[in-house]
Amino acid sequence: MTEITIHPASYRDPSGFIFDRNGILYRQVNRSYARQYETLMRSGLYDRLTDEALLIPHTEIPDNFIKSPDHHLTLLPRQLSRLSYASEWCPEQLRDAALLTLRIQQLAMEHGMSLKDATPFNIQFDNGKAIFIDTLSFDTYDPSKPWIAYRQFCECFLFPLYIHRYALTGTHKISSAWPDGIPVSLTARLLPLRSRLNAGAWLHVFLQNRVTSLKRATPESKLQFSKTKLTQLIGHLHVLVSRMVNPIVPPSAWSDYYSETILGKTYLEAKERLFRGYLHSIEFADALDLGCNDGRFSKILAQTGVPVIAADFDWPCISKLYREKVPDIQALIVDLANPTPAAGFRNAERACFTDRAASDLVIALALIHHLALRNNVPLPLIAGYLGRLTNKYLIIEFIPLSDEKAKELTARKQTLPAGYNLENFESAFSREFRIERKDPIPGTDRFLYLLKKT
Amino acid sequence: MTTLFLYIDPGSGSYLVQVIIAAVLGGAFWIKKFWRKIRSFFTRGKKET
Repeated sequence: MTEITIHPASYRDPSGFIFDRNGILYRQVNRSYARQYETLMRSGLYDRLTDEALLIPHTEIPDNFIKSPDHHLTLLPRQLSRLSYASEWCPEQLRDAALLTLRIQQLAMEHGMSLKDATPFNIQFDNGKAIFIDTLSFDTYDPSKPWIAYRQFCECFLFPLYIHRYALTGTHKISSAWPDGIPVSLTARLLPLRSRLNAGAWLHVFLQNRVTSLKRATPESKLQFSKTKLTQLIGHLHVLVSRMVNPIVPPSAWSDYYSETILGKTYLEAKERLFRGYLHSIEFADALDLGCNDGRFSKILAQTGVPVIAADFDWPCISKLYREKVPDIQALIVDLANPTPAAGFRNAERACFTDRAASDLVIALALIHHLALRNNVPLPLIAGYLGRLTNKYLIIEFIPLSDEKAKELTARKQTLPAGYNLENFESAFSREFRIERKDPIPGTDRFLYLLKKT
Repeated sequence: MTTLFLYIDPGSGSYLVQVIIAAVLGGAFWIKKFWRKIRSFFTRGKKET
């Protein structure tokens, strides 16, 4: 039976909408957008954008599957498997998404069109590269008008990047707290005094803040602009954004976890050998590395040719991994003790991390002691959650209380969490999984497990 | 012809700020161009001597 549902996030733009038909996403172009759509396709803009892999390509389908009276065309876009959001991106990902938006705006203007919105929700990462997914974001360009999406661009991209530049906070929490963009008035209050000496921040944050609070006599619609001016403005934003992220990622508590661990090289090599052995014995179509750190094991997973989500709560780790541009790795900032919730209107527009990340193979190396000992999550709850994320196999490392890293986590705790031991670990995970392999990691008290979901 | 209604709010003052920024950028562009002319005039002079 054919099942069709309109995507819960696809209601803002009257130009069309996304719908799901038997698990495949389609986009309807409404009649009201027919003229703009034809310009996109005939002006050469679509070809240019898809040739440069900036815009998701699509094929046109004449069928009006949902018998919509507004139907002009149905598009079948190339399907993306794994979605992510700015609340999970490192600053470099947000920067690259911003640069993509500006590049597309430049090309659109050359072809008589202009982006009518500039939000990170128009962008996804496909094989580590930012790609624009909203085919209906293009409007006819009127050179006498400034950029309609300028404010949105600033609030969604430029301001989080400025705050990160001065506070080194990452941008993910800002995007999470203000999914529609952080207001200019707040950005102006958050930025330090010295940022006023920065010409870009002064123009786009402080001047904009002043101007927006003014009461004016002339209506803005009467203001005249030109293509040269807008080209200069977009070029200027491009330069600002490309210089925005500090090339040196600050060291974090975890970024040197593997290289500095006193467990040393032998431990890592032994673990890697066991890990590779496990991979040879199983079949999986996608993988999820929880607590990926520097991505050492994500890279081994990616070598098998499957798409990998590498998640860690530490943004410098994700920045570093993203910069390496390893094919097949989707690096995301996710705190497993507080994974990305479902968001948007009705909590339905953006799926939670758990629903997006479930994979055939999940790996959780040097992870569960953090959840159990730092966040006090009981072992059965950890097992239950990992069971939800795992479709087939779980490779997990058990770190006992006697371990140096576990001791660090419990050093300041007055009482140790009851029941954190190997026996309870195995019994908790046995409810969701069957133990296929269990190996001590030489030189440590740690164990590596290959578990199969039951 | 159908016109789409503006489904995003450009934001109050957002057009005016772009007009001002564009004027600043335009000014900077002319100053740079002018400065380059002066500099090339002198450097060219140097080469000839």
